[in-house]
Amino acid sequence: MTAAIEVKEVSFGYGPHRPVLNHIDLAVRAGTFLAVVGPNGAGKSTLVKIMAGLLKPQSGSVLLEGRELYSYGVQEIARRIAVVRQEFVPAFEFSVLETVLMARTPRYGSWGFESEQDRTLANRALEMTDTARFASRPLGSLSCGERQRVFIARALAQDTPILLLDEPTSFLDLRHQVDIYDLLKSIQQKTTPTIIAVTHDINLASQYCDEALLLYPPAPSGDMPIDERSAAATRCRVGPISEVLTLPEIQQAFDVQVFSGAVGRERFIVPLGIRAKDADRAGRST
Amino acid sequence: MHPSLTPRILLFRTALATALLVAIMLACAMIGPQDVSLKAALHRPPAGAAVSPDYEILVRVRIPRVLLAAMVGAALAASGVIFQALLGNPLADPYILGVSSGAGLGAMIAVIAGLNWTLWGRSPIAIFAFVGALGTVWLVWGIGRVTGRYQVTGLLLAGVVVNAFFSAMIMFLVSVAKSQQLHATLFWLMGNMTEEDFFVLWMGGGGIVAGITALYFLGPQLNVISVGHEDARSIGISVQRVECIAFAISAFITAVAVSLSGLVGFVGLIVPHAVRLLFGPDHRQLVPLSALVGAMFLVVADTAARMVVAPAQLPVGVVTAMIGGPFFLLLLVSHSRKVFWPR
Repeated sequence: MTAAIEVKEVSFGYGPHRPVLNHIDLAVRAGTFLAVVGPNGAGKSTLVKIMAGLLKPQSGSVLLEGRELYSYGVQEIARRIAVVRQEFVPAFEFSVLETVLMARTPRYGSWGFESEQDRTLANRALEMTDTARFASRPLGSLSCGERQRVFIARALAQDTPILLLDEPTSFLDLRHQVDIYDLLKSIQQKTTPTIIAVTHDINLASQYCDEALLLYPPAPSGDMPIDERSAAATRCRVGPISEVLTLPEIQQAFDVQVFSGAVGRERFIVPLGIRAKDADRAGRST
Repeated sequence: MHPSLTPRILLFRTALATALLVAIMLACAMIGPQDVSLKAALHRPPAGAAVSPDYEILVRVRIPRVLLAAMVGAALAASGVIFQALLGNPLADPYILGVSSGAGLGAMIAVIAGLNWTLWGRSPIAIFAFVGALGTVWLVWGIGRVTGRYQVTGLLLAGVVVNAFFSAMIMFLVSVAKSQQLHATLFWLMGNMTEEDFFVLWMGGGGIVAGITALYFLGPQLNVISVGHEDARSIGISVQRVECIAFAISAFITAVAVSLSGLVGFVGLIVPHAVRLLFGPDHRQLVPLSALVGAMFLVVADTAARMVVAPAQLPVGVVTAMIGGPFFLLLLVSHSRKVFWPR
């Protein structure tokens, strides 16, 4: 069975002195919920942009349903991959329903209006994300958590087999973080899309996701030529979540002291600075 | 809060605005320093007899001028909508990428060079202005492309700098020009309507109406692009293609408008904002309604320009700024509380 999306030997840098991704290999099976984890600057967002076809890697290739991503047109990609990005710039005041309907724009009729099917899909997305009750409110009047659900609704209305999310829970409080992951999980169970989410929250990721991609920070510039194969092996790790997001892996990737505990069957990883109140005690117990 | 747009609402509002525009145009054609009797104008003179002076004034003077004002107003307001959407900047207007200074420089060169030939009934001023306007937009667009393909800031800065540079050149030409050349040019720079013959009106009007119609069909894509370029791409919009087409069309209709009437300010900035405040941000309705409202606004402003110091005339650009500024501030203050919801 071919992977839904496959990243092969992908390298990318912003200019010659800022390599970001170095020979990344990743195959995501259809229906998998994958977490992309790694420190700032490791290239998580860059990888999402590359997989969405918004950036072109300097070397390597991305296969979508077994075919080279760059052989697809913009619309063909949009029929297969929907993206939820982290930043929101309030521009003109579109309503929630208008925002969600935008996902259907490339398939509007020749007079520029949505069909009955477009409306059905938008309404279904609003129902699934529990945003239907403020469908007519302007986007700017919503809270961060509500707005994030609207953007997820827009991605759902695009009706794609693959969903890419770039830090869907940044800026959200605990309750809303959990809500978003519950929502993503229910989407995965109802319509079984492939979900790839960049996240900083290792614990939420290990509770909800099936697999993880852990990106290591890029080598300091000049230290390592971008095409040095021997270095490539340590640039990332992919696998089932319980094998990737382990204590030693996290310590190495983030370069921080962490300790782990368990509540029931869920394992948790907590960072610990050297000046934290309990730093000594925790140090002894790990 | 605006209910989302349906074809029915759009059709209804567009038809209503069109009817209103036609009514305003008829009313304004009747207003003037010279009273005109519609009955006398419509009365068919017996064969061989001269047409009535009422007919002469109405058909040869007033109607062409009202039509011209409507065309120019529609073009400026519609392209204002497009520039605000594409640049994601509420301060954008049709002149922001150098159309105005390019056209002004072209017009000044034609005046200074003392050219006096005509082409299809157009003076060299209009033709030089048209070429100058399109050439400048092309130059600014090219510079913007070099500075960064996805960076709007580069484009805006290029526009500002080119505008400033060309304005300096206009000032230079103004200061070395002979005084009898200056009056015409200054009126042109402030925006001025004159009576055009029907051939010019048909050409310009055809181009402008075709352009605005084409812009309407880009409406859904412009909605998505106005939210964000990357979002638009991942939704499946060919952002660069839509941008290129929209910029080209709006630069073209602006250049047509400017070459017919000079630099009429304010219409392209305030009409889109006013329509957006009243009817919401959907470009499918923003483009046609702004065009119609822009046409009404300029027809009224030009009538005022003809009447206020009659029998002399004001440059219409002075009137648009003087009515438009306070009116827009009023609208902004009274509507902003409704539009920006408290968090």
